[in-house]
Amino acid sequence: MEVTFKDVTLSYDGKREILHHLNFTIPEGTLVSILGPSGCGKSTTLMMISGLLAPTSGQIFFGDQDVTKKDALARKVGMVFQNYALYPHLSVLDNIEFPLKMAKVSKKDRKKKAIELAKLVHIDDQLDKKPGALSGGQQQRVAIARALAKEPSLLLLDEPLSNLDARLRIEMRQEIRRIQQETGVTTIFVTHDQDEALHISDHIMVLNQGHIQQFSSAETLYDNPSNLFVAQFIGEPVINTLDITDFAGELDGQIDADILQRTQKVGIRPEALQDHNTVANTLATITTKVTRSEKYGREKNALLEFHGQRLLTTEVQADVTDGQELPLYLQRNGVYLFDKDGVRIFGGDQDA
Amino acid sequence: MLNAKPTIKSTLKALLYLLPMLVISITFSIYPIIKSFIMSFYTKYDFFKDIVSQYGIDNFKFIFADPDFHLAVKNTLIFVVGVVPLTVIISLVIALLLNRIKWLAGFFRTVYFLPFVTSTVAIAQVWHWIYNSDYGLLNYFLGFFGVNAISWLESPKYAMLALIIMSVWKNLGFNIILFLVGLNNINERYYQAAKIDGANAWHQFTNVTIPLLSPITFLVSVNGVIGSFKVFDEIFALFNGTPGPSKSALTIVYYLYQKFYTEWKYGIAAASGVILFFMILLVTVFQLWYSKRHVHY
Ligand SMILES: Nc1ncnc2c1ncn2[C@@H]1O[C@H](COP(=O)(O)OP(=O)(O)OP(=O)(O)O)[C@@H](O)[C@H]1O
Ligand SMILES: [Mg+2]
Repeated sequence: MEVTFKDVTLSYDGKREILHHLNFTIPEGTLVSILGPSGCGKSTTLMMISGLLAPTSGQIFFGDQDVTKKDALARKVGMVFQNYALYPHLSVLDNIEFPLKMAKVSKKDRKKKAIELAKLVHIDDQLDKKPGALSGGQQQRVAIARALAKEPSLLLLDEPLSNLDARLRIEMRQEIRRIQQETGVTTIFVTHDQDEALHISDHIMVLNQGHIQQFSSAETLYDNPSNLFVAQFIGEPVINTLDITDFAGELDGQIDADILQRTQKVGIRPEALQDHNTVANTLATITTKVTRSEKYGREKNALLEFHGQRLLTTEVQADVTDGQELPLYLQRNGVYLFDKDGVRIFGGDQDA
Repeated sequence: MLNAKPTIKSTLKALLYLLPMLVISITFSIYPIIKSFIMSFYTKYDFFKDIVSQYGIDNFKFIFADPDFHLAVKNTLIFVVGVVPLTVIISLVIALLLNRIKWLAGFFRTVYFLPFVTSTVAIAQVWHWIYNSDYGLLNYFLGFFGVNAISWLESPKYAMLALIIMSVWKNLGFNIILFLVGLNNINERYYQAAKIDGANAWHQFTNVTIPLLSPITFLVSVNGVIGSFKVFDEIFALFNGTPGPSKSALTIVYYLYQKFYTEWKYGIAAASGVILFFMILLVTVFQLWYSKRHVHY
């Protein structure tokens, strides 16, 4: 089911606005992640989609149907809550069966279905336990099974994997992706883990302080961040951020003077700082001093000093010693300029 | 340590902490209970010299043969069966309503709580007036529905009903408060999950509220059963020191009171107390057994 927000605003107490004029469309059959730091309004957005929370103003559409006034019962979405909200008095099996019971599915059928789902999320050995006797990760999996039970046309997942260990997390996210692709259910997946969002989603909506920062594919987010927040939020290691005033004319002549004039911040991806020159792609050259170089696993990082600022690069090929001078070549496709409002005015595909 | 095993040392330490309370309960609870157990077997007893010249089971034989005691048991059971379910249901319904309205909720809570902090005697006086067959409020209202004046307190047919109504009303306040606490303790998220799972208001009530409220319901009903088995002061106050017209409100404790204070048959009074004790024990054990399967903590 396609979900559309038209100018949706929300305030819990009527004073402080939590979400400001949200406009977006989640296409049918896709998996979209809502990504953002804690407290930015991800859960709140999900609650409004589910119908548990009514927007203060604006409209919500499922397909072309206006559901703004419809409550959760009428909207019939599936949802995994951030706090799981499993019924404490029901066994795992009964929890998974509950939506089916409400839909008046026969006892035999709903048991069969529930066991199938329990197997899917690897919880079939815990069926008789009460939620209180399960670990956080197990509870989360029960919650996922319960949300899937009624085969909703819209599935909302609020950080469904946050309590799993690294390996299970990857396994479950692939599982969610597989289920989503198999069933074609439109899925909205809330997370604050960019890696998770990048791996699982068709599109990612980056949210910060109640504003949509950017809504696009993972690749576009990384290659064409629309503002400084997105550039800093997406990417590991984090993008290097410098003030334009930290440069002593290294960029002059390479970029329109008019753009440089408006620039306030410069973002440089760690992999766009190379110690070897690829002429075609090189935007500028800077001279830095190596502070420290480290190697973990196959990662090799070097911390550098540039006009008193710290830089991090992952692209030093030569063996370097601490304290030595190192000329670095700024790669065109990893340098972004942002104006005083944080909007990107240079870099990305348009300037590649 | 969550999983520490009890040792002799830790048990002794715990006993030491409990000692002051133990001394008090042994003196004022355990000792009288044992004493009355023993007293129920006194068959010849000089109260003034505290000399027991004969033990036996004559007291029990007497009460088992006494039609008054049979009546008392019957009335007590009617009272318990009448009061407890009504109290639980009505206080739950009122608590649910109070939980809904935010407006004046504090005011209503106070109003419902008042009976709990008012003395039974004062309450009985008010109900006396309500039940008055000529000028009473109740008959006045019933008159609107074409019901002829009922002699609530004078007719053996209605006396027990009158007693039950007043007792239910008196119990409401405290139980409403308990239910309100229980309702507030149910996390909103379970209702949200239930809505998502397609549960309408009624299904939310039966699948979330009722099971998650069961510890409170259990508390309220056990408390109610024990209290109702021991009913006495309501009767004494409502029927002006009599067990109702034609003993229609004679209960076990009232029987005990009569034997003890007006007939000075201490052994018989104690024996009826012992019977009451075992009746309450039986019902409470049953409730505990039932709760094992149906109460969700
Ligand atoms: N019931 C509520 N009443 C009032 N304010 C609330 C309520 N729930 C959330 N908020 C506020 O709304 C803002 C957004 O909260 P929300 O739970 O949507 O954040 P989130 O993005 O899901 O964060 P997290 O990643 O920590 O779960 C926060 O500032 C929070 O304090
Ligand atoms: Mg959240």
